[in-house]
Amino acid sequence: MPKEMNDIRVSAPESRPKAKEVCAFLAEYSGWLFSSGATCIRLEKNVKRIAASLGMTVEMSVLPRHLHITVMDRCGRQCFTSVAPILERPVSFAINTRLSTLSWDMADGEVDFREAQKRFCRIIDTPLSSGWAVLMLVAIANASFCRLFGGDMMAMAVVFIATAAGFALKQTLTEKHVDSRLVVIACSFVSAVLAAADGLFSLGRTPEIAIGTSVLYLVPGIPYINSFCDMLDRHYICAFGRAMNAVVITCCLSIGLCAGMLLMNVGMF
Amino acid sequence: MLAEFIQDAAFAAVAATGFAAISNPPRQAYLYCALIAAAGHSFRFVLMNPAGIHIVVATAMASLLVGVLAVLFSPRVKVPAETCLFPALLPMIPGIYAYKAVGGMIMCIYNNSEAAFSRYFYLFASNGLTCFFILLAMAVGAVVPIFLMKKISFRATRTLHD
Repeated sequence: MPKEMNDIRVSAPESRPKAKEVCAFLAEYSGWLFSSGATCIRLEKNVKRIAASLGMTVEMSVLPRHLHITVMDRCGRQCFTSVAPILERPVSFAINTRLSTLSWDMADGEVDFREAQKRFCRIIDTPLSSGWAVLMLVAIANASFCRLFGGDMMAMAVVFIATAAGFALKQTLTEKHVDSRLVVIACSFVSAVLAAADGLFSLGRTPEIAIGTSVLYLVPGIPYINSFCDMLDRHYICAFGRAMNAVVITCCLSIGLCAGMLLMNVGMF
Repeated sequence: MLAEFIQDAAFAAVAATGFAAISNPPRQAYLYCALIAAAGHSFRFVLMNPAGIHIVVATAMASLLVGVLAVLFSPRVKVPAETCLFPALLPMIPGIYAYKAVGGMIMCIYNNSEAAFSRYFYLFASNGLTCFFILLAMAVGAVVPIFLMKKISFRATRTLHD
């Protein structure tokens, strides 16, 4: 048993739920935690912590699109397996944080299984950050980014507009459930075309920095970092799956960027 | 130099706050992301400019600082350390190298003459390699502290403390 499991308060046998219920709960919990941006090591630790607090053991395998979870009670009388799909949802560290806190609260005996189920339903209803606020923050962030790369004020202004337009398009297309890869191609194309204005109308002195920075808000940073985390944790299949996903998104980003530059006849060097 | 240093830190903090918003973090995490990004990016600025250290090594060291700070601060803010890694690392992303590498690759395809091809292939390979190693340095530097300090990293969201 891992060291961490020693300080977990195990609920009394008479108040324990059935292994089948726990298995269903953990499958849903894992699906949400994974798609909220959690790494495999966090997922395993949280799930094992919850199972231990309910006097059960759990084993799981994480595949790129599914999770297999097997829950056993300590006496080995009951054993259930559940397969949960990993749905494509926007990353939410707010949900990730609250789900991790829930696992600790169960381990510390603060929350029983029934209460945890209710709390879980409330957590997954956590609203995402407001669309307009995120749009403005991302546009300002990308403009600052342009400055960090050595862009002038005009390049910053152009990047701000290109990012705002591209990100607004991303929000609209995502709401309409358009394929995420097509969304990236369309957004990077729009941002590159708008950012090309800096060079075409000779507005600033750093047009190449404006165009190079304008699409960076689409970089799939979280899949890359999580993939590396999973690799260090020897979850090679999942790490490879996440890395492939990130590579595909990066290729889509490059396609949109190149198409935008070809359309606007922007020379590279 | 001091003005540049402060400017660098400030823009990194603004960039991190904005990019943090994409991943819907809890509210208390924004300030934490901004501070860590500012520390990481300005540390790299110092390593590269006055100290003259190569960008790959400087990025690895700065990412390590980002990772360590993220883990150490996470129990205070009660968010997983990973929350701030992406926004804090993003200002270090080698965007211009990546852009030049893609540009070089396209020009390679468009130019058949040996001299032009060699020149663009050189641009593609040199920028692409630098970009790849910067990304690798960022990932290794930032993620390793989470594994080295597992006890802190995975207890950060616990409300009841022992």
